[in-house]
Amino acid sequence: MLIVPLLRPDRTIGLLVVRRREPGEFPAATVGLLETFADQSVLAIQNARLFREIEEKGRQLELASRHKSQFLANMSHELRTPLNAILGYSELILDNIYGEPSERMRGVLERVQSNGRHLLGLINAVLDLSKIEAGQLALSINDYSLKEVVQSVFIALESLATAKRLALKVELPAALPTGRGDEQRITQVLLNLVGNAIKFTEAGEVAIAASVEDGAFTVAVRDTGPGIAVADQTRIFEEFQQVDDSSTRSKGGTGLGLAISKRIVEMHGGRIWVESSQGQGSTFAFRLPIKVEPQAGQT
Amino acid sequence: MSKRILVVEDHEDNRQILRDLLGNAGYQMIEAETGEAGLAAAAAERPDLILMDIQLPGLDGYEATRRLKADPALRSIPIIVVTSYALSGDDVKAREAGCDAYVTKPFSPRLLLTKIREYLP
Repeated sequence: MLIVPLLRPDRTIGLLVVRRREPGEFPAATVGLLETFADQSVLAIQNARLFREIEEKGRQLELASRHKSQFLANMSHELRTPLNAILGYSELILDNIYGEPSERMRGVLERVQSNGRHLLGLINAVLDLSKIEAGQLALSINDYSLKEVVQSVFIALESLATAKRLALKVELPAALPTGRGDEQRITQVLLNLVGNAIKFTEAGEVAIAASVEDGAFTVAVRDTGPGIAVADQTRIFEEFQQVDDSSTRSKGGTGLGLAISKRIVEMHGGRIWVESSQGQGSTFAFRLPIKVEPQAGQT
Repeated sequence: MSKRILVVEDHEDNRQILRDLLGNAGYQMIEAETGEAGLAAAAAERPDLILMDIQLPGLDGYEATRRLKADPALRSIPIIVVTSYALSGDDVKAREAGCDAYVTKPFSPRLLLTKIREYLP
């Protein structure tokens, strides 16, 4: 009988046992061969164990990620329900349903409302982002008209621009091909870019320009705002990063809009960027393939 | 006679808001707290319009809407669904269930009233 230990540097993980009928010692060559075989077995066993461990870790991670997304989805619903009551009651009071509030009370209620809406914006943005991170946001791919997307954003934000005495312009080519993509999400991106441009521009204009080239749309939002230093141009596409952290408070906004926009554009196989220098205004632009097909694994 | 609106909603605060809003606007409100109770109330009371919340204990708002729209006696009653969030995909599911319109939560009472008046002038 010959016993060869299966050795790892730190311990023995098993034994290789060989028996034969003939009495006497094993030849040295056989012993050498079995030792080599034992070494290889140690490696194979280790690999198999590692593989099983990685598989198990992967399963645990997937489960954790699912739990996390489910938790966020539930939480955002739970957060929104009381917010509904806060915003609802304050609007009813402002609409004189419970009698006429004083001017001072009105002022306070309007603050309650605007803070409530800001909180809602944050909850929605966090939910959006967490869904994207968890790979749970599926694009809903359909035919769309880029012209209509631009027009709906124009209509939604025109009054905001007018209130700041900014000109909001639209520059579209005479004809644009029908696009294929998630219209609602593309609208969300453009709303975000134009909303930002209006928010950070104090005088002058904001222009939305669309063009088509090499099977892709390019949509650019140009403003005459303060501009963004080169050092900050990458950072602003990350979560909770604004050029000036104090601007979150003074300008409102969640600090998540560009991060979400970047992900939406990338999910469409496109890219988003900014061209700007300080004092020269900024142009935020994104390029989208005209026809986007659902990615594998997406519904 | 004032128009009657069935509200299917499990949260007391939301029902209170709707009670104040609809009462003030001259509507009569019928209340149900679950999908099942909503179906029963719709059949018994034949309201002029239904406001349906989505997340309800038991039968959810989608299924309740689907059943109401499958009932020949009740399908003509307009249903406005209150979905949780515009971009969640709930609006698509609500339309598939056959609702006539939807508003997203948190709904603005003012906008909701405008929507209701489209169906109950």
